[in-house]
Amino acid sequence: MMFRVARSRKGGQVTHYDLYKVSAEKGMTVLDALFQIQDLMDPSLAFRYSCRGAVCGSCAMLINKVPMLACRTQILELPDLSVRLRPFSALENIPSGWDPKNEVLVEPLPNLPLLKDLVVDMEPFFKALRKMRLWVEPEEGDSPRSQSPEDRQRISRYVNCILCALCYGSCPVNAEHPEYVGPAALAKAWRFYNDTRVAEPERYLEAAKAPNGAPLCDLVMNCVRVCPKGVAPGGAIRKIKDLM
Amino acid sequence: MDYLHDVVVVGAGLSGLRVAIELADSFDVVVLTKVHPLRSHSVAAQGGINAALRPDDSWESHAFDTVKGSDYLADQDVVEVLARNAPLAVIENERWGTAFSRTPDGRIAQRPFGGAGFPRTCYAADRTGHNLLHTTYEQALRRGVHFYEEWFVTSLVRCGDRVCGVTALKIPTGQVHGIGARAVVIATGGFGRIYGNSTNALINTGDGAAVCLRTGVPLKDMEFVQFHPTTLYGSNILITEGARGEGGHLLNADGERFMQRYAPEKMELAPRDIVARAIRTEIIEGRGFEDGYVHLDLRHLGADRIKERLPGIREICIHFAGIDPIDEPIPVVPGQHYSMGGIDCNVRGETVLSGLYAVGETACMSVHGANRLGGNSLLETLVFGRVVGQAVGEYLKSASSPDSAAVDEQVFSERQRLQRILMRERGESPATIRKAMHRAMDEYAGVFRDAEGLTHAFREIGRLRERYQKVALGDSDERFNYALIRTLELGNMLDLAETIVLGALKREESRGAHWRTDFPARDDKRFLKHTLITKTAEGLKVTYKDVTLGRFEVKERTY
Repeated sequence: MMFRVARSRKGGQVTHYDLYKVSAEKGMTVLDALFQIQDLMDPSLAFRYSCRGAVCGSCAMLINKVPMLACRTQILELPDLSVRLRPFSALENIPSGWDPKNEVLVEPLPNLPLLKDLVVDMEPFFKALRKMRLWVEPEEGDSPRSQSPEDRQRISRYVNCILCALCYGSCPVNAEHPEYVGPAALAKAWRFYNDTRVAEPERYLEAAKAPNGAPLCDLVMNCVRVCPKGVAPGGAIRKIKDLM
Repeated sequence: MDYLHDVVVVGAGLSGLRVAIELADSFDVVVLTKVHPLRSHSVAAQGGINAALRPDDSWESHAFDTVKGSDYLADQDVVEVLARNAPLAVIENERWGTAFSRTPDGRIAQRPFGGAGFPRTCYAADRTGHNLLHTTYEQALRRGVHFYEEWFVTSLVRCGDRVCGVTALKIPTGQVHGIGARAVVIATGGFGRIYGNSTNALINTGDGAAVCLRTGVPLKDMEFVQFHPTTLYGSNILITEGARGEGGHLLNADGERFMQRYAPEKMELAPRDIVARAIRTEIIEGRGFEDGYVHLDLRHLGADRIKERLPGIREICIHFAGIDPIDEPIPVVPGQHYSMGGIDCNVRGETVLSGLYAVGETACMSVHGANRLGGNSLLETLVFGRVVGQAVGEYLKSASSPDSAAVDEQVFSERQRLQRILMRERGESPATIRKAMHRAMDEYAGVFRDAEGLTHAFREIGRLRERYQKVALGDSDERFNYALIRTLELGNMLDLAETIVLGALKREESRGAHWRTDFPARDDKRFLKHTLITKTAEGLKVTYKDVTLGRFEVKERTY
């Protein structure tokens, strides 16, 4: 099985694509293929990884033009390329020579500065957590708070976010507006706003309503389609917008 | 010396973050981590965190289960601290925002777990580690904890009997820097990737334990490696004990719930060492399915319960095995899961070097002894993260500044060492050596062990360590050189593998997770002791140290 992998030694932009022949086995993932390349063919290939079980969020990248986790993507069952995403340049520009029938195309996650090969700078994505202060301000006390299963269920979808940035990399608004905090941060703000245990929920809603937040979202919903955890950030953003 | 801080915490999983949070208000603390904190392996913990929260449960009962589960090798004073502080640790994280699953009346829900006499495992569906890590990281951000992200520790700087910092490779630039510190806390997690079949994240390579070993700090009880009974056949991704806690059955190829022959009372919820041996025995004796696995059957729990309590497990099965546990049983095999052994330290995390502390899976206090109970590892990180943070704080009140010349000297020699590896054009392939290490450890240092296999493994690891001296990686780029990182990790794992095998060879008894087919009984007379392995100029030295008993009498262990 052929892999066409984007390369960039110095970062900034993709300089070329390298073609590798990977010996494929049942159960193998794109991450396994990248390790096979690094171990046996090209030790210079750089990519991030950790859990290999789709919980840590390290290996978000563009696979056949769809933002996906490399560790969760089986190479013998590559998804139908027609995952309907609203296109923008990173998803539309096809590298010359790519043969989609016979080659797996692997590229860095869009919308974040490229550091090397498949490694992008996550700082613009994570910065929003600090700027929007997406954490609880704990109050003094030494007993657990009560929460009904129903109230817990309301935030369940949002606490499942692994902050992999697939939503950020799939969003046409992020492509155009680097200042946009992105879908994950807004979903997280919505999670705190809706947590019945939180003392001042309004502050999270206010943070989400800032000019670089929910107002920039065009409700494209690419984030909902690519999310590996069913968080559906776009749904949360729609609800934030309803409160504006 | 490029950087100077009061404390450097190495590792940003739950243990490291909790230590940093304890110290952040009063000291200049930095957390150095080779991956972004949220990529740490704590995130993958599934089933839960133990705490005696109910009036009809007690910390004494939790402590007893832990000590019995440990096959009496845990130090009972350490276990007491764990069990007594468990409710506080859970409550603290709940108040920080962790979304624990709830009972109908709004309390933190608790499920039964292996080896426990009471359903005391608090959980957030089957994503407990994910919830705790994200919440704890949020609190670290709130307190302005400073991170050196994507830095890889290469050595400890020792000045006589104290530590004075670390050297580390900044992965984005490839530069080696010296970081002087009055105290260093090692919180680098487990080292499961020494084995081929492991539930661990690929980053779990024991870097902190390895730099300690090389600095002359003893490692303790390294032979005690936990094999989780239920890992997904093929990829070894963890299938939580919570699946059995919720009522899942283990079945062999004859459709028999075979645990009735091994642990008639506790059945599937016997401790992990016992269930793992039972499964391996079924497979060895020909009662496994085709290539050698058994079934974990959840079907009778029904779709609703699986979706509510075990959504992550369902997702894993669908994406990594192509089956839905609502309709089909899950193919499972035992796989390496947890390192009970680690850096020798006491209940405050103090090691033989002043200023050097260890905490979490990389540490061996010892709170888990010969076998850890499920739900006690997340607990260990939060309880002892706080305890060790406080101990470091006290130490800093009187600790003097580090010797900067020693740090500079070591940076110089570390740069040379790494340059030599980078510049070697021809030599051994790290991937080949790694594969051979995996084979030796899986085959001879697994669930069942004997002198012949362990001797073979010891020689093989020795040969691989020789070959590693001539390793060449074929890429000399400075920035983001992951081939270099993985080669350095391999060196660390080989050093630790040798101590695991040596400890296992010398321990001529069966206790907890360490099962010798040639010595199938526990031998309290000779081995109710901790193994210590120290690297000296003459090679590895093995000594033993007494276990702290006191509260619970040492007894035969049956379930």
